[in-house]
Amino acid sequence: MSKLTAPKAAPAGSTTARSGKKVFRKIEPYIWIAPSVILMAIFIVVPICKVFQMSMNQVTKTNQLKGFNNFENFIKVVKAPAFTLVLKNTLVWTIAVVVLSTVLGFMLALVLNNKFRGRKIARAIVVFPWATTLVIQASAWGFIINKDYGTLNTLLMKIGLISQPVNWTPTPEAYFAWEIACGIFVTIPFVTFCVLSGLQSIDTSYYEAATVDGANYWQKLFKITLPLVKSSLTVSTVLNIIYVFNSFPIIWTMTKGDPANRTDTLVTYLYKLAFYNGKQGEASAVSVIGFLILLVCASVYMIYTLRKGDDDL
Amino acid sequence: MSQPVNTVKKPVSIKKTILRVLLYFVVLDVCVITLYPYFAMLCTALKNRVEIFSGDNILPVTALWSNFIDIWSRAPMAKYMLNSILIAGGSTIIAMLCGIPAAYALARMKFKGQTAFLGVIIVSQMFAPVVLLIGIYKVMLSMGLTDSILGLIFINAAFNQAFTVWLLRGTFMGISAEMEQAATIDGCTRVQSMMKVLLPVAAPGIVTTLIFIFINAWNEYTVALCLISTDILKPLTVGINTFNGYNIIEWQYLFAASIFAIIPVVILFMCIEKNLVSGLASGGVKG
Repeated sequence: MSKLTAPKAAPAGSTTARSGKKVFRKIEPYIWIAPSVILMAIFIVVPICKVFQMSMNQVTKTNQLKGFNNFENFIKVVKAPAFTLVLKNTLVWTIAVVVLSTVLGFMLALVLNNKFRGRKIARAIVVFPWATTLVIQASAWGFIINKDYGTLNTLLMKIGLISQPVNWTPTPEAYFAWEIACGIFVTIPFVTFCVLSGLQSIDTSYYEAATVDGANYWQKLFKITLPLVKSSLTVSTVLNIIYVFNSFPIIWTMTKGDPANRTDTLVTYLYKLAFYNGKQGEASAVSVIGFLILLVCASVYMIYTLRKGDDDL
Repeated sequence: MSQPVNTVKKPVSIKKTILRVLLYFVVLDVCVITLYPYFAMLCTALKNRVEIFSGDNILPVTALWSNFIDIWSRAPMAKYMLNSILIAGGSTIIAMLCGIPAAYALARMKFKGQTAFLGVIIVSQMFAPVVLLIGIYKVMLSMGLTDSILGLIFINAAFNQAFTVWLLRGTFMGISAEMEQAATIDGCTRVQSMMKVLLPVAAPGIVTTLIFIFINAWNEYTVALCLISTDILKPLTVGINTFNGYNIIEWQYLFAASIFAIIPVVILFMCIEKNLVSGLASGGVKG
């Protein structure tokens, strides 16, 4: 690929034309990437700067910036009684969803990697939750588990497993657990497909050789499969940490973080701060805190991907 | 995975049969659980309100298909639908127009700051718009793009840029540059050689990317919720919540409308499912 960009023998011509061409060759790549850079600069980088700026400033109710206020927004946020709870919820939410969906998604990928009749249909079905917008998934699950008329109770009563409708969400924590379940449900397909893509690239001769050597299923799984899909798993896990951390629609649709922040995560909390309570300065501070947590994850991911991709850069 | 090493022995085949049965059992279970919410939605969409709130039946006693017609008059569904199409279509076009040249430059040229640019792209992918919502709102306010579909188009295009560039770069790098070089020697400019030689060959990858951005933008909820306040400018994901009122939830209409919102994307997703697997291997991207 370097052939195309390598300076060709300059055609005979005036030196100015030649140097003009040379300059153009130098700046040409930047012209090509310019639209993309501008788009991201305006709609991603500027908002990032705005959030940082607002988090450092005193922001009035009418959204005027009143100058640097010694990190007062951050102090207010951290001191708020709800914040520890929200932070804890966010951690529980992220870890539970990511860990469980990774384990389940991995197992599902192993199952779907077998050859069996109807495999294509099964894979198409598994992709459903990934393709469906989270709001709709969340309202569907909210309906299913409703204690008064939800279909889960109806179903279990028809089968005869329960005789009385069960209140599936007696406490906010129970509601939060259902939100986590819903999060796992919609995240599994992504993990499954990431792992499947890794599994498909494994040379079957490894397994043949291992079988000849008398390795059993578990040995093959841990000694061949796992090491070879590790990179797929790492990618899906790191991305999931970030996406799940940022996930807003499920919690917003099911509980809006209520009651009393007991099902809030950072993103729903900051949304309410900014757009319900008009505390944009504090909300920006929450943004920055979330941003910094994610930046750590992003750096890990970036280092990993760039190192992996070094040879093709 | 299981390689048929034919040491034809009875116990092995019995074990195999059991494993087979177990496999089908697991797959069937997974499919049933996955489809259950959709099944529940469809059943509910076909019931009347009294029947839903009684919670007596799973299947509707009589299928009330009229719910699917009623939603179009109960809420500006046609508008929501059109808005979703505009937002998703517009975002896709802009994301591709900006992404293709960038991916081309990354795949075919060498320049200073290339690695840095890639790094920035990856990092930008890490930030869902939610965290930046306040900043986005401010930017939109200063550009007069709050409460406008155009604003949503730009935001979606920008936040899908990382994915677009990353995936297309992978696609382009997988294609040998020789044909383009030949075209250049024949007197094609770089733009011509890209348009006429590279893009047709890269079509499958481009289509996958395109559909994926479309789906992402179609399913986007949070920014639309925050930016759009005029009812007739809402996309489907936000608009359907008209039926999810503060006092009473019209489940039958909510789910009937939801089904309209789901079907197009599920079909699109199933078209690219195969390509997405290989795309993920090269990029690692989620919506």
